[in-house]
Amino acid sequence: MPAKGMLLSSSPHSFTQISTSRLMLSVIIALVPATVYGVYLYGFSALALVAVSILSAVAAEYVFRKAIKAKTTIGDFSAVVTGLLLALILPPTTPLWMAALGSIFAIVVAKEFFGGLGANPFNPALIGRAFMLMSFPAAITTWIMPNGLSLPADATSAATPLALLKQGQSLSDVAAYFGASDSGAFLRQLFMGYRAGSLGESSILLIVVGGLFLVFLGVVQWIVPAAVLGSTFLFAWILGMNPLFAVLSGGIAFGAFFMATDYSTRPLTPMGQALYGVGIGFIVVIIRKLGGYPEGVTYAILIMNVLTPYLNKLRVKKYGFVPPVKPAKPSKEASK
Amino acid sequence: MTAKTFKGGAHPPERKERSSGLAVERLRDVKQVVVPVNQHFGAPLQALVKVGDLVKRGQKIADADGRMTVPVHAPIAGIVKKIEPRTQSNNSDGPCIVIEALPPPAEGQEAPRPEDLVDFLPPLDAFACTKEEALARVRAAGIVGMGGAGFPTHVKLAPSKPIAMVIANGAECEPYLTIDERTMVERPEDVVEGVAITMKIVNAPEGVIAIEENKAYALPLLEKAIASSPRTRAGMKIRAQLLKTKYPQGGEKMLISAITGKEVPSGGLPMDVGCVVQNIGSLCAMVDAFKEGKPLIERGLTISGGACVKPANVIAPIGTPVSAIIAAGLAQVNAEGIGMVIYGGPMMGVAVPNYDIPVQKNTSGVLLLDAEEAKHYEEETCIRCGRCMRACSCRLSPALLAVAIESGDYAEADKIGLLDCIECGTCSFVCPAHRHLVQRFRVGKQVLRAIKQKEKEAQNAR
Repeated sequence: MPAKGMLLSSSPHSFTQISTSRLMLSVIIALVPATVYGVYLYGFSALALVAVSILSAVAAEYVFRKAIKAKTTIGDFSAVVTGLLLALILPPTTPLWMAALGSIFAIVVAKEFFGGLGANPFNPALIGRAFMLMSFPAAITTWIMPNGLSLPADATSAATPLALLKQGQSLSDVAAYFGASDSGAFLRQLFMGYRAGSLGESSILLIVVGGLFLVFLGVVQWIVPAAVLGSTFLFAWILGMNPLFAVLSGGIAFGAFFMATDYSTRPLTPMGQALYGVGIGFIVVIIRKLGGYPEGVTYAILIMNVLTPYLNKLRVKKYGFVPPVKPAKPSKEASK
Repeated sequence: MTAKTFKGGAHPPERKERSSGLAVERLRDVKQVVVPVNQHFGAPLQALVKVGDLVKRGQKIADADGRMTVPVHAPIAGIVKKIEPRTQSNNSDGPCIVIEALPPPAEGQEAPRPEDLVDFLPPLDAFACTKEEALARVRAAGIVGMGGAGFPTHVKLAPSKPIAMVIANGAECEPYLTIDERTMVERPEDVVEGVAITMKIVNAPEGVIAIEENKAYALPLLEKAIASSPRTRAGMKIRAQLLKTKYPQGGEKMLISAITGKEVPSGGLPMDVGCVVQNIGSLCAMVDAFKEGKPLIERGLTISGGACVKPANVIAPIGTPVSAIIAAGLAQVNAEGIGMVIYGGPMMGVAVPNYDIPVQKNTSGVLLLDAEEAKHYEEETCIRCGRCMRACSCRLSPALLAVAIESGDYAEADKIGLLDCIECGTCSFVCPAHRHLVQRFRVGKQVLRAIKQKEKEAQNAR
């Protein structure tokens, strides 16, 4: 009779094959089209930026976990995701050492200081970018026109569509700046992916393809991206901005699919997620319209991250929920 | 027929094909049974026999007063050898009555007459007797919910609210298990008759036999049995209902929601939404109890799992050590390859140290998992992916519930609905970080109940 070696454990005794590392890998796969396109637009220096950002994120996590004598967690690929996400939201010309520093800050300060994966209240990649934006404001706001695989030395510096708009130019001026015949053609150009901007935020098409891939796999839910994009569209329209331009420009699509859906920092409940997404859209539009920055996705998401614990209170009613019978309020007379 | 279902849930690997085609075999000539005195959900029983007594098959050997008690009967004729604590299928020790079968008559000796060895109740017509008589019979026959909980059936059949629907639970959503499936295929008439008897007792106008799509082939058999049943011909309304295959559809609450769209109120019972749900095995046991006067002394179960080279669906006397079923050759195992022994299904069953443990009234299956199936994963940190939130059929936000329990915030855990957790295991199953969520909820429930008890006492003391 086998008595030894029998595993005794609390049920269930059956487990899914889906693991944390598999979820992270699918996010990485979803980011491949946008990354490859970024490299195609901005050349091998962009590839170097991606590589340095990822490697420094992984190395930072490995070293930090070693230093605090905790279990190594680089095998879950979450540091790879953070490094890759950070690279994709940086200007393609960002000096590599800055990217490394941003990556390390993202992992060590924004993630590991709070206990690592799942415990961080703020999106690490966005914290990394915010940190860089404050430390190196010039470098992080210097953009170039896509110049193919030629060296960045040939690059002509450029302004992003949102920055031009912030300077008071009209949409058709901006379209002309990017060589589009009219604003309709320019919007199509934005969707397909030709503009000055962050490494991975050029092609809305490829971002949406990657995002829908994750939604299709069930890795992320549609609520947050839909709420972010829908509310950005709506609030832009209400405030008299071109709503299509609002969702096609800047980092809003990338943020909606890949930043706002970050597991650790978005609310868990459907109602919380919807409000969270709407909040992001609202803040983005407000920053673009009234703020000092041309773009506000980073801060919009970070601000809404703060509210996540509160939004988690908006739970779905449990099965068979019975509203509690409120004890009759004592009249004012009685309480005196 | 469109298949209905409930919200949430998951699809654990079914692995039912290993035993779904195997006819139920009966284990005969059992040498020894170890009958647990307490096999039901409720107050403990007293043994009515002592060591050395001769007991007949079907003789009552343990009982107690009180509503939440169900007597236990001798599954075989024999001599009471011992009454002592033994490990039960819940992996804790409880008093057991060990009965050894009578040896075959010696040469020249007259074989004992069957009536000296069998002590069944007189047959009773469920449709001619009063409700009280019928309930008394259900109790006297020792019938409990055979799906796992072991809830006394006579209590379930005496609801204090009007019942609109009797549901036969043929979902059998636990992976591997196929005994309900086989019973529906082999005894469809008795399943229908059991539903009719239940409808008669609780005075319900409608009966529904619920079956999942993975055994849809049994649907025509059930429909034929329904059509040819004297009960439906006499005007009783019984139908079969197809359900989408999904775990935990066999959970009472989920089954009711799938079929009626209603939700059993928190802290309430199925009768609060006018339903009574009966296990397939329990229905057949009721038919036997009325037709033959046979108490619940044997049951069908599935023996399967990766280390089970030859799986089987068997009927064995209550108290049969599973090792005896295997020794008799009905099922074969690769003993070296066993990584885990589970009494019940892989989602809610209990892991035990060996398979000498006897079959109980609520043992729907015994799984001998191989090392691969028994693989246990190291618990990682929660990444807050929210998969458990969507899978929880009780909509309890498991991820948030676990945080509340870990931080000792039992007021919050109570608010989220900790006590509503049915421990189905879906959240733990879907967790990519392999968090032991259900285990936390089990412990948390006990702590929360203790806290509530204390509060109550403090309030009473005031």
